[in-house]
Amino acid sequence: MTRIVVPIGPQHPLLKEPISFLISLDGERVVNSSLRLGYVHRGIEKLAQQRTYVQNVYLIERICGICSHIHTTTYCQAIETLLGLDVPRRGLYIRTLLCELERIHSHLLWLGVLAKNIGLDTIFMYSWRDREIVLKMMEEISGGRVSHAVNIIGGVRIDLDADRLTMLESGLNDLNGRVEELIGTIERDRSFAARTRGIGKLTLEDVKSFCVVGPVARASGLDIDLRRDAPYAAYHELEIEVPVMNEGDVWARSMIRMREILQASRLAKQIIRTLPKGPVSTTAPRKVPPGEVVSRAEAPRGEVFYYLRSNGSQQPERLKIRTPTLTNLITLPEQLKDVQMADVSAVIAGVDLCIACADR
Amino acid sequence: MNILHMLFEILIFPGFAFVLFTALFFHWLDRKLIARFQGRIGPPWYQPVADLIKLFSKEDILPVGTNEVFATLLPLVSFAFVMTASFYLPFAVPTTQSFEGDIIVVIFLLSMPSLLYFLAGWITSGVYSILGGNRSLLQYFSYEVLFLLAISGTVITSGSWSLAGIRSAQLTSGSYFLPQLLGFFLTVSGLIGKLKRDPYDIPKAKSEMVAGPLTEFSGKKLGLWQLTNQLQTVVGLSFLVHTYFGGYWQMGTVGGFFTFYLLLILLQCLLSAISAIYARFRIDQLIRLNWYALIPLALIHNLFLVLK
Repeated sequence: MTRIVVPIGPQHPLLKEPISFLISLDGERVVNSSLRLGYVHRGIEKLAQQRTYVQNVYLIERICGICSHIHTTTYCQAIETLLGLDVPRRGLYIRTLLCELERIHSHLLWLGVLAKNIGLDTIFMYSWRDREIVLKMMEEISGGRVSHAVNIIGGVRIDLDADRLTMLESGLNDLNGRVEELIGTIERDRSFAARTRGIGKLTLEDVKSFCVVGPVARASGLDIDLRRDAPYAAYHELEIEVPVMNEGDVWARSMIRMREILQASRLAKQIIRTLPKGPVSTTAPRKVPPGEVVSRAEAPRGEVFYYLRSNGSQQPERLKIRTPTLTNLITLPEQLKDVQMADVSAVIAGVDLCIACADR
Repeated sequence: MNILHMLFEILIFPGFAFVLFTALFFHWLDRKLIARFQGRIGPPWYQPVADLIKLFSKEDILPVGTNEVFATLLPLVSFAFVMTASFYLPFAVPTTQSFEGDIIVVIFLLSMPSLLYFLAGWITSGVYSILGGNRSLLQYFSYEVLFLLAISGTVITSGSWSLAGIRSAQLTSGSYFLPQLLGFFLTVSGLIGKLKRDPYDIPKAKSEMVAGPLTEFSGKKLGLWQLTNQLQTVVGLSFLVHTYFGGYWQMGTVGGFFTFYLLLILLQCLLSAISAIYARFRIDQLIRLNWYALIPLALIHNLFLVLK
């Protein structure tokens, strides 16, 4: 049979964001694939050089529509390090709380996308329905469902009163029950296993050589998590377990992410119980002393890396952002080798791409 | 008067219009049920009609390189095949005279749309259409065999090749549904393949094939394809009611009419539940399942029926 080249993207029902794959098929088997990025490039790194540090917080928030909070967290951390600011503990705790809520929301969204891609619409509908709980919680405390605008340089913008804390606690309890039900379903469902087990395999060596990060790396047996290894915000005061699996396929990735949801909700409850008293932010000067700094954080998809160079003015001289999607994306041609055409959708979903993050 | 009466029977009740509205109703029922299973509200009752009106009033575009005559004929012919099949499977109201071998005719008429579906992919120039068409043909060779083998269980037991014969045999011996439960479920499995419903919707798998062979179709032609599929669903279900539930209702009585519809609705619930529960199969998984498990099972089942 002659080879057929199937274009997937830049617009395709499989993709939620524009990226382009060209997949060469021999019958139903993928023999070769290539990918092209850059359809949502907005030049954010360049834009950041033309705005002040404070304005940039709102620009940075718009890098990603799913993990907006983690970007501002990393950015604010970088500036706070340069300024030598001592952020109040309550501020750090609230920042961490939002990070964990965002992780829950991102992972539930991802489960829906994977389920949709393998034709299991019921799980898609259920997981997105349950995601509404965490979205409502975030809206309640910050005013925004996905763009919260919570972080400011020197702390956070919002404070939590007793009512909100009880609301969060009961919301998390409700969510926990539903997520456990979802996990039970996908763990036992044979048709889900048939479409995810043994697909998109990455060995530990692959993961190390491609510098893969986040849940994809943890699903292949690499025990990394910045929240534990290089704690930022309030993580050094919290108990964190890092789920690790060795299978390295889409199935393991989904299990890792599902366990991370439970873990994130445990962390959020810890934060609610041990929230310290005091102010939530300090005032930060407008000018940042010259110097350079690297700031890292564990986004839902893995390590986010910010490099910031300051020349002592109100505007950064250089801001370099590397998102987890970019590192994980490179493994896709490797993962797509020799899979069936029908599994391409599962493999692409398994990596949890955030194209807007990768293109910036 | 006689001709008018005949025309009324063919065009309105229990013919064309009646069957069409049944199909649209069942399509709505299907969508509503799946929506409820998934925790959604689902569409209002007039949604299938509204969709159809919208599609029929839309601009009809075909890409360059497509054979226009074929693209127009295929949905029409496929619709005609299913519509003809519906006349052999009266919806609880007697229409045509049943004859020995009409079950073969019905099976033929119901399997033709799948072939035309493949051709629809072949005549258009898009890569998704061609791949989807190939897949539908691959799939065809597994579920069609299963469907034929499984349904022949009822023929073996009743000793008749006509639908009327199978029905009347069940009136004396009781319905085949319970004694041939295995055969019934195998037939349902084959039927899902025929209808290309989830989890057998491999040729039109949205996440990789966009809409399979129908990707390049739009407007009236797409509307007709969809109508064909909706019609095929209810005709397929009524085929099951005729062959497996023949003992529960009597042709031409009011009670029979309602029992027939009740059975149709129950079967639709079964199909919708299956759609909601399973993830889409991969083509190799489907073929392995059919040829290694279900088809041998159907053969053994038939052997058992013959020996009994």
